[in-house]
Amino acid sequence: MEPLLRVTNLTKRFGGLTAVNRANMEVHVGEVVGLVGDNGAGKSTLIKMISGVYQPDEGYIEFDGKRMALQDPHEARAIGIETIYQDLALAENLDVSANIFLGREVRKPFLGHLVQVLDRSTMNNESSAVLNRLDIHIPSLSQQTRNLSGGQRQAVAIARAIYWNARLMIMDEPTAALGVSEQRKVLTLVRTLRDQGVPTIIISHNMQDIFAVADRIVIMRRGFIVGERKAADTTVDEIVSLMVGAEVVHQAGVLPRALETETA
Amino acid sequence: MTTKTAERAAAQVTESTSLRRLEMVRRLWAWVFLVILVVFFTVAAKSLNDTNFLSARSIQGILVYATQILLVGLGQTLVIITGGIDLSVGWTLGLAAVVAALVMQALHAAEVSPVLVITAGALAGLAVSLIPGFINGWLVARVKVPPFIGTLGMGGVVTGAAFLLSGGYPIAKQPPYLGQLGNGYLIYLWPGQGVTFLSPPPDLAGEQLRELVPLIPNVVFVTAIVVLLVWFVLSQTQFGRHIYAVGGNFEAAVRAGIPVRRTLIQVYILAGLMAGVGGVLWAARFTSGAPDAGETTTLTAVAAVVIGGASLFGGEGTIVGTLVGSLIIAIIQFGMVILGIVPFWQYVAVGTVVILAVVVDQFGRALGK
Repeated sequence: MEPLLRVTNLTKRFGGLTAVNRANMEVHVGEVVGLVGDNGAGKSTLIKMISGVYQPDEGYIEFDGKRMALQDPHEARAIGIETIYQDLALAENLDVSANIFLGREVRKPFLGHLVQVLDRSTMNNESSAVLNRLDIHIPSLSQQTRNLSGGQRQAVAIARAIYWNARLMIMDEPTAALGVSEQRKVLTLVRTLRDQGVPTIIISHNMQDIFAVADRIVIMRRGFIVGERKAADTTVDEIVSLMVGAEVVHQAGVLPRALETETA
Repeated sequence: MTTKTAERAAAQVTESTSLRRLEMVRRLWAWVFLVILVVFFTVAAKSLNDTNFLSARSIQGILVYATQILLVGLGQTLVIITGGIDLSVGWTLGLAAVVAALVMQALHAAEVSPVLVITAGALAGLAVSLIPGFINGWLVARVKVPPFIGTLGMGGVVTGAAFLLSGGYPIAKQPPYLGQLGNGYLIYLWPGQGVTFLSPPPDLAGEQLRELVPLIPNVVFVTAIVVLLVWFVLSQTQFGRHIYAVGGNFEAAVRAGIPVRRTLIQVYILAGLMAGVGGVLWAARFTSGAPDAGETTTLTAVAAVVIGGASLFGGEGTIVGTLVGSLIIAIIQFGMVILGIVPFWQYVAVGTVVILAVVVDQFGRALGK
């Protein structure tokens, strides 16, 4: 099957530093791809090229079989590549449905066709429909999003993307600021998206998260994609040794303590 | 494990109810304050100099007084919701009053028909108020000048322009019918005899005049229409929604494709225009135009908006809140006059109330975090 996203020989240089070096990667409908690597490995630069923030120096991006030259994030969003940002891009003073329809408010005529007013009932109905579809539970759609939990806000941002026909989600450390039960909900949501045909590229430092949600794991080191494993066929050990460079692990003879306990 | 989860859930619930209670306090305290003020001044006026604070006459007096604060406050509300502030609006009011008065004076001297004199004067006042509004918006949205400084500077420019146009003197010698309109009422009730609209029944003398009950001052009527319009725009239209979005999260608004710069410019233009309406009404009430007509109104309008629950951090504020805030300021000022307190204390009172309202807002936010 054709991949939804394919990047070929993607390269980005910042002065003398090659942040991403001839990266090849595919994302298929029906999977979650975990992107891992140490700090500075090039993960963020890679996804910023996919989401249109950076333009590659070499190589190209194909989306849905077509070659794309994304000039900015708006173009990426327009074709269905949606990045969920850390700050979530919600207006916290507005309610849930106002945020889902932010900038694309539904209007209806008032006093004949004299003026257009906000069509609140349509926006509320549509919002609750999309939230239901994604199995997201929010007590009241009419409360300001500032009163929601971090996980709920993330869910609203994701629901908005889905409502506006996102076809590929990119999430950078989506669970970083969340409590344990909230983390689980977000990961469940990522799987729900996958099952409904929207794949996700997820960046995380948390191996537990990656193994809990990813079907395939892509490992980066010093700008290169150094490996790719099916989550079912690998271990945290193997991923970490690919991340830090196997020879380093062998020389040191030990794994970082946190990882030892995780594998134990 | 499950008990822990339950405990945590319970903690979250109490947290959110206390948050909601806080919201309620924030939203309701202005109304409570309003009631307390009315009760206080009613009792004080009765016991100190045996006057009725709640007579139809003094209520309408308070409303007339509130119109100027309210008109400037409406535009200020929109600006403050976007996270800005407009410190030039009081001076724009003065400029509009001067220009309207100049035009009416000239046309009246040329013996043009009253309707034309009034219309042309009003339109000239409104038109001139668009200029500082547009420049403010352009400075804030395009040049990225901090609103505080940009509009303060603009206030200086506007003041100078108004003084230059007027030569430093009030623009008097206005047509006589202007004052009748500006200080007149929509309805005149003559108990047992009938009703007339816009002007009292002709040929009334002494005793009869005293029986006449005038209802709804013209300026209050005009202001009420403007209030309704602005309320409608802010709460029911896409433009209003975008105003809240810009103040709530500017980056999010940009990312959502909202035309943020256009929205900002329109908001500052509206703020100028509302001040312009205030200036035209001022000219009609005082049959004159004076550059310093709105000298104190910038402060009182900011006070009204902030008391009404708007946040200087942006994103929060309502027209109903500003209405209540304006009434509070008007009642404080009117009440102090009735009690015979030296008028200079009004500045102290209004200034203190502004600071208090901002402190309450910051305190509420700190608790909410």
